Amino acid sequence: MGVKNVEEQIAELVAQVAALEASSAGAAVTNTMFAETFYYLTIPLMIIIHAGFLAYEMGASRLKNVLSSGVKNILAFAFMIPTFYFFGWWVYWGFPTGITGTAGPAGISGFEYASAIAFGWGESAQYMGPNIADQASGVFFGAFAMFAATTASIMSGAVIERIQTVGFIILAIVLGSFAWVIAAAWGWHADGWLVTQFGVHDFGAAGLVHAVAGFFALGVLINLGPRIGKFNADGTANHIAGHNMPLTVTGLMLIIVGFWGFLMACVIVPGESWSWFADKPATIYGTPITLSALSFNILMAIAGGIIGAWLLTRDPFWMMSGALAGIISVASGLDIYFPALAFIIAFSAGIILKPCADWLENRGIDDAVGAVTVHGTIGLYGVVMLGIWGSGYPALQGVAGEVATINFFGQVVGAIVFGLCGFVPGYFVSLLLKKLGMLRIPHGAEIAGMDIVKVPAAGYPEWGIDAPNTPAE
Amino acid sequence: MFPYEEASWSVVDGPMYMLANTSAPGLFTLIAAAICVVVLVIGQRSEAEKTKRFDK
Repeated sequence: MGVKNVEEQIAELVAQVAALEASSAGAAVTNTMFAETFYYLTIPLMIIIHAGFLAYEMGASRLKNVLSSGVKNILAFAFMIPTFYFFGWWVYWGFPTGITGTAGPAGISGFEYASAIAFGWGESAQYMGPNIADQASGVFFGAFAMFAATTASIMSGAVIERIQTVGFIILAIVLGSFAWVIAAAWGWHADGWLVTQFGVHDFGAAGLVHAVAGFFALGVLINLGPRIGKFNADGTANHIAGHNMPLTVTGLMLIIVGFWGFLMACVIVPGESWSWFADKPATIYGTPITLSALSFNILMAIAGGIIGAWLLTRDPFWMMSGALAGIISVASGLDIYFPALAFIIAFSAGIILKPCADWLENRGIDDAVGAVTVHGTIGLYGVVMLGIWGSGYPALQGVAGEVATINFFGQVVGAIVFGLCGFVPGYFVSLLLKKLGMLRIPHGAEIAGMDIVKVPAAGYPEWGIDAPNTPAE
Repeated sequence: MFPYEEASWSVVDGPMYMLANTSAPGLFTLIAAAICVVVLVIGQRSEAEKTKRFDK
């Protein structure tokens, strides 16, 4: 009887162990599916950013250019995906330690590592296509490809109504699949030299996406020149109104919607082999973050930016641009700002937005939608602000005392590097395109309107082809 | 308050925002609220000024 009891007890224990193993396996599957779904859902959310850019830029274009602005956006999005697949993803993993391509301390960088996981051919192709044993690479690639497309689209609005389509696409590829990716490798990667050596922290990509894109746009605008009629002989500027302000403002609101997906995708979920932690979410640097932190701070930043811009301008275009600027101004530290402080910083960004745009315009730069200011200037402002408020916090996960901490000098260095990562390629590639005659459409075509020249469709057919009177007429 | 000298998240088990457990967050909240009120006051004044022009 006693022996039977022992046997029964052993059988019960075995059954319990089996049940626990099954339960544990089930939990692991659930977590893996959660992680995959988490990033998968950020992709359509980020595509909403592109719906927003499409509406925003078409609304900001005059009637005669409305569809060509849209074609430009749609095509940039399309080219960004394959070029990021061909080489952008490789660049992100290959360059964190600098241009030497050596492996960093975390062991997830360098040319060898990149070639093992991020090329669409050879052995690494298994990570660049459907793979029953890999539920992460595709959704990570997808999220990063959307970051790339977003970055390219930031430049897009600044150059509307006079840029050639193919020239623009080449610039978009350079920006979206290379320039910002270099900045991300350096400042948004556990092995990034800006992070490990200078303590740069840019959780929400204020510098490495927004400032890079904004200053890339500035470099292009210098070579592209203003739209016909933008500036008078004495240098004063005319306002060239878009044909549909409600469409522009709605587009800006859609970009705000998409930002939630963008910033959500900056979170590393727990419990997977590639996660920072088993039990808690982390930033890309391995420091703590929660979606609640994002919710508090993004909402307060949107509000602060809108209120600041309204106080100064009363203009719905600048108010919604203020919402964007509000988020960008605190994006670097969305993980650790207190919401009321995020509101105050965003409010200040909303206040300085229009004067900064006016300053640029007074220097002969025709930025049709204020992209250089909203993304470039405010992006740098956000990076530096974190250096003021967040100094002393760990920039990266690691042993206390051994890892770099956030500091003002490091954030300034980061801001300068991010600005140059955008401006230098933007200026020189657009200069090359200008020399090749591929940058700006001819004078006559610009006067006639780009839709009638190169788009076999009409935006508003009942209105005919006559654009409203503007200084460019 | 975040242990700046140790500079490690491993000892933090609660508020993770800057200047936690100090009076600063409350001060920020007060300033943010004041900004909202001041902006509304300024906005009301300027809008009233503009609308008056159309009453004449």
